[in-house]
Amino acid sequence: MDMNWKAALDSIPILNKAALLTLELTAGAVAIGVVIGLIMALARLSRTKIARAAAIGYIDFFRGTPLLVQIFLVYFLVPRILHWETLPDDYQYFAGVLAMGLNSGAYIAEIFRAGIQSIDRGQTEAARSLGMTQSQAMRYVILPQAFKRVIPPLGNEFIALLKDSSLLSIIAIQELFYSGKIIAGRTFQPIPMYITVALYYLLMTQLISRWVTYMERRLGKNDLR
Amino acid sequence: MIYVKNLHKSYGKLEVLKGIDCHIKEKEVVVVIGPSGSGKSTFLRCLNKLEEPTSGEIIIDGIPLNSEINVNAIRREVGMVFQRFNLFPHMTAIQNVVLAPEIVRKTNKAEAEKVGLELLAKVGLSDKAGEYPDRLSGGQQQRVAIARALAMKPKIMLFDETTSALDPEMVGEVLAVMKDLAREGMTMVAVTHEMGFAREVGDRVIFMDEGIIMEEGVPSEVFANPKNPRTQAFLSKIL
Repeated sequence: MDMNWKAALDSIPILNKAALLTLELTAGAVAIGVVIGLIMALARLSRTKIARAAAIGYIDFFRGTPLLVQIFLVYFLVPRILHWETLPDDYQYFAGVLAMGLNSGAYIAEIFRAGIQSIDRGQTEAARSLGMTQSQAMRYVILPQAFKRVIPPLGNEFIALLKDSSLLSIIAIQELFYSGKIIAGRTFQPIPMYITVALYYLLMTQLISRWVTYMERRLGKNDLR
Repeated sequence: MIYVKNLHKSYGKLEVLKGIDCHIKEKEVVVVIGPSGSGKSTFLRCLNKLEEPTSGEIIIDGIPLNSEINVNAIRREVGMVFQRFNLFPHMTAIQNVVLAPEIVRKTNKAEAEKVGLELLAKVGLSDKAGEYPDRLSGGQQQRVAIARALAMKPKIMLFDETTSALDPEMVGEVLAVMKDLAREGMTMVAVTHEMGFAREVGDRVIFMDEGIIMEEGVPSEVFANPKNPRTQAFLSKIL
């Protein structure tokens, strides 16, 4: 097959837009994932058995089933649960970000849990001996230190999520991969098109990775331990 | 001030405390000595419920240590200094000192800061208020830790081998701060290997071994004429 890069170059404005959407979807999923992850990590470490069991169940389910299946499940379940007769416009974006957020919440919960558990017991003891409650100790002493430590794994999760967002093409979200696929089909130039798409992903993951390294250095300077 | 009755503590099958009885009066300075594994640190940690006693009774300042609500109230009144300092590494010295007064005692920021700086001055670290712990020596960190505990205006101070993790040349500066506190009339319980400190400021020395109090008395007497053979053996090894 004759390779022609013109189609790929011509599609750059469309791909730029699609890449931006990919970033937005990922950012939305990360935001949901961090909130859920923090809640689940605290529940996982809680003294209440029910909270622990619920967190373990959540984490096992979302880590133990394919994201692709979860996307479909969320896509079809949400309207059913909310008794929607017709789907709102752009519903797929909502479902897509929600599914990815729920999924990353499970991974981020484990990242936070590891971070919290990596903080020396003496820190909690010192805080408690000063009369702080368990939650005050968590909020003022443990979490600020744990956050610094989880930046690198959190960055990796961010990158994994960005790549996985290509799965959202399956529910007709016109993100980067979806757009590339459409153009590849229309122009009969799959190879230049998918190489271009790959380069877009690579550029974005590289940028995130640099940003994480920068944040890590900036926040880590007061913590030699 | 502190009443302890028949205190037991076990970790699974291992019984660490086998019935401790003791009464510590206000302004008394009690030094707890004994070989490692004798249960002295566990005893101290029971006094602010960092360890949950298996059985027995502890009454601090008239309040029995039982429910969770009491525990936080008691801990406000009982300061503790640890062997490994346990300063909060993400906060400067002054931030370490003012945190608990601000969030536990709800002292306003300006007042907490003022008291905090006074306390840092008291431990000789006025010039280090803005430093993070990793920029301080072990002795300086431990003095910040003492200031941090004092900021809660505790009635009792517990010292858990506060000089054991220090380089020898830094032991003196920490002991000096502890001696000052003792002279000011703080009620203190100190687990330590510093016999000089025990002799100089201790009102009473408690010798613990195998989870019980083997011998107690005025330091000069216990050190000069230990009655229990265990005490004799221990002292002969370290003096």
